[in-house]
Amino acid sequence: MLTHDDQLSLLKLISKQLKKNITCYAFGGNAMMFYGYKAETKDVDLLFETIEDRDEFIKAIKVLGFQQSSPINVYVPEKLKDKHKPLMFSRQDYRLDLFVKKIFRTKLSPKMKEDKFAVHEFEKLRINVLRKEHLVYLKGITNRQNDFDDIRLILSKEKNFDWNYFIEEVLWQDSQGDTWALMDIEKMLKELKEYVFIEEKYFKRLYDSKK
Amino acid sequence: MNINLLTIEGLWTAEILAEELGYTRQSTINLLSKLKKQGHVTAIGNKKRLYKITAKKQLPRKPGLYDILNKYNPNFQIMPPYDHQAHYNYQVENALVDAVQTKNFRVLLATLKLFNHIKNWKKLYALAKEIDVWQEIGALYDVAKLFFRVRKMPEKYRKNKFKKWKYLILTYKTKELIFNSIKEKWKVQIPFKLGDLRKVKYVNS
Repeated sequence: MLTHDDQLSLLKLISKQLKKNITCYAFGGNAMMFYGYKAETKDVDLLFETIEDRDEFIKAIKVLGFQQSSPINVYVPEKLKDKHKPLMFSRQDYRLDLFVKKIFRTKLSPKMKEDKFAVHEFEKLRINVLRKEHLVYLKGITNRQNDFDDIRLILSKEKNFDWNYFIEEVLWQDSQGDTWALMDIEKMLKELKEYVFIEEKYFKRLYDSKK
Repeated sequence: MNINLLTIEGLWTAEILAEELGYTRQSTINLLSKLKKQGHVTAIGNKKRLYKITAKKQLPRKPGLYDILNKYNPNFQIMPPYDHQAHYNYQVENALVDAVQTKNFRVLLATLKLFNHIKNWKKLYALAKEIDVWQEIGALYDVAKLFFRVRKMPEKYRKNKFKKWKYLILTYKTKELIFNSIKEKWKVQIPFKLGDLRKVKYVNS
């Protein structure tokens, strides 16, 4: 498992190996650690805007002894057929899931780019940490083991979760051709309703968008 | 003591929190101490301690762009749009270059006070040249020189001639006559008005 301090040290090391400046987006358990929601995570999820940036990042982590590993048993089989599935690299307990341009069918939306929660700079590496609403959305669509628990954890620690903002993101992704967005999120919200109060109007907005 | 931290998020004194929870003062202090160890509480002040409680863990911060801008502009504070932290030797020179890229009016105004704290002009020049913002930084320096104390920029960095016009903020042209010579020298449009500079310069204005 990777702690917050481990993550910072690892990112510093990677940054020192980079030959050019790279920007990427953190959105998984690693992003949750930047918020202080959790103390450790299994993996570091990063999204790059260009293949060149991801390739440069991969060169750096290979120098540090990371090797490509298989995403089988981590993601559900239907996600693994998607051409935007991540490249996964591991070294002992540490695992990096590296996406480029899209997280499966989900695009990096203009709001994800603009409304960041935090920016952590490590000389040549710039990590943009997404907003909590985006974290919940992306955990809702990645469908991995523990993602649902992470969503519950975020909501248990946040008074001000903006459901309107969240639903708008789902609808935007749907309008951009992410055919899983509505289905995955509706399923996730229904399960979540058992634990958290979610107003019916948000479900209605999802259903209305399909009429 | 199983407490939902969301219900007690915020600033408290030990006495008021004890009243709220229906505990004795000593039990409350024990609870605060336990939460502090878990990273959910920070104590502020010495004589009358205030306790900041959050459901999320409070992580130590590394200073970034907005910390530096606010440090040198005590009377002109900027509300950060996001939490910027730099995990390396981030100095005024780095902050200045990052600030110019934001294209934000208040951030640009706040940069003017940084020119009195530049220690390494070579580093600033190299960082600015890398992303092609030396023109903007030169223009901001000359504006700052008109109103504030600044460290002297070595002459060799002032010799560049520029052809391409640039905006500090897109489409905001120079309106004040006093900036015309700076505008022409650096080929940069200066968006500030004299009133804006007064806000940075004078306390509580």
